[in-house]
Amino acid sequence: MQFELAYIVPKAIADRPSVKQSEIWGQKIAFNKGRNIKITAPSGTGKTTLVNILYGLNKNYTGQIFYNQQDVATLTPVEFSMLRQSTWSIVFQDLKLFPALSARENIELKRTMQKSVVDTVEMEQMAAQLGIDAILDQPTGICSYGEQQRIAIIRALMQPFDFLILDEPFSHLDITNKKKAAQLIQAACNRRGAGIIITDLDKDEYFDYQESLNL
Amino acid sequence: MFNSLLKKLILKQSGKSKILIARFGLGIAIFLLLTAIQIQSNYDFLLNNQTNKDSIGDFLVINKVLNNETIGNTNIDSSLIAKLRKQPFTESVGILTPSRFKASIQSISDRFPFYTDISFESVPDSFIDISNSNFSWKPDADFVPVIVPNMFLDIYNFQFSISQNLPQLSPEIVKMIVFKITVYGSNGPVHFNAKIVGFSDRIASMLVPTQFIEWGNQYAAKSESHGASRLVIKTKDPSDPAVASFLKENKLDTNNEKLRFSKYRKIIDAVVSIAGFTGLIMLIFSVLIFTLFIQLNIANSKEEITLLITLGTSPLQLSKFLFRHFFPGNLISIVTGIIMVSLLQFTLQHLLQTQAIFIPAHISLTTLLTGISLMALLWFITIKTIRKYIYL
Repeated sequence: MQFELAYIVPKAIADRPSVKQSEIWGQKIAFNKGRNIKITAPSGTGKTTLVNILYGLNKNYTGQIFYNQQDVATLTPVEFSMLRQSTWSIVFQDLKLFPALSARENIELKRTMQKSVVDTVEMEQMAAQLGIDAILDQPTGICSYGEQQRIAIIRALMQPFDFLILDEPFSHLDITNKKKAAQLIQAACNRRGAGIIITDLDKDEYFDYQESLNL
Repeated sequence: MFNSLLKKLILKQSGKSKILIARFGLGIAIFLLLTAIQIQSNYDFLLNNQTNKDSIGDFLVINKVLNNETIGNTNIDSSLIAKLRKQPFTESVGILTPSRFKASIQSISDRFPFYTDISFESVPDSFIDISNSNFSWKPDADFVPVIVPNMFLDIYNFQFSISQNLPQLSPEIVKMIVFKITVYGSNGPVHFNAKIVGFSDRIASMLVPTQFIEWGNQYAAKSESHGASRLVIKTKDPSDPAVASFLKENKLDTNNEKLRFSKYRKIIDAVVSIAGFTGLIMLIFSVLIFTLFIQLNIANSKEEITLLITLGTSPLQLSKFLFRHFFPGNLISIVTGIIMVSLLQFTLQHLLQTQAIFIPAHISLTTLLTGISLMALLWFITIKTIRKYIYL
């Protein structure tokens, strides 16, 4: 189980000088299952672009990206949905929650989208662990961004996956909640034998990183 | 849980009353369309079913219209016969051959004394509706078989016998009576025994075997043959308006009673056409409204659908969900339409039974298959519409 990036350069930032110094753009590298990979980069260097390319949302690039030897650009919508239900999970930088649904409903949507691997009790325990159990039945739209971030993290842990892609997942969390969230994520990854691909502005020690790359 | 969340996200309440009206319209459309087909099926059933088949229905005896201009010239020429044979409503044409000799018939029993001059006609065997009878004749035969119109027996039993104080006779008794036919030729009269072998409504004439007519015409003809003046035609559907108009065009005449269904048929055709056409137009509009409604619902929830797919919801899951939401209502409309036609058919069957018209109590296979085809069509359109907008 691996992502292979073969000389990927996003067209939108191809002309920027930072691309030439990148350890990812224009390089041939692989992300393997079970490894924690930290990608550090300042703003505007394409962290979210990379996440979207990995998750199949952005196809505006040169080069090729393979997942298990299959070119991601050739995947059909149905094949993408199968990967997103069972192999790739994600926490978007902009979270992508449904504001009209409650926190619980947002999480349940992902939990029941495929064959459940986490039961409701366990989900509620996770919410308690991150301190959002009291707001589970509130519409997400009225939750604070920090609360929404924790909802999105729990949602991402509701499915089976080999890779968990995290795009600045702790940006609105305090240090205590960051640690709690990291522990929860690591435990879920360990249980699945999965790896983390996390992007952030700065270096951190929330996870035990096997690889650290500058974008 | 997943489906109830999808419902909450995708399905807005807007246009619910419109879709209900469209579904009601669909039900009516299906009802009208299937009714049109069912009426046609019933009509075909009435034409082809033995229970309903009266012997005058399929056979028409035709002759030239007799008026001051045509008196003495009532022959139907061979070109007109050929033209008649070519008509789509004609299955076969038979020429009625009249006797051209003087003949009489009398009872040989003192109990039923009667004597009358008489003439006969013959038709090809395939036009005779008396079965199980050897309707042929040879000069050395024991008797001449005769087929008599039912009407003659009725006149005897309900008028003549009463006025003459004679006993009434059942068809079985009449068939046992032996009559004497006398043919008057130039070499003197020749006597034959004769028996009535059957009664018919098909041709209002005293029918004898062709061989007897040929023999008589040869032996005692008073005049030369002038060709055919009466024809009998076999037709699939005597109510076909084309029959009436052909006869009128060619100045031919038949018993108009036999064409009585023609005008009903025109009315039925008009009703069937109007119902069918209205149903078809309503169906087209209903389908159009459904496709627009599906499109509108998907467009209204475009953002949610895009996000759902981003999060991993399969387009197949969404299509299936939307199909399950939109199709059952339409299915109910179609099934209700079919049930309504079935009820109508059941009621009609009971009503017509009292008029001695027998139609099936259930809808025809054609009607049912049309209903099923419409279901399949709507299923296909619903799936196509959903997939078109979900995959885009």
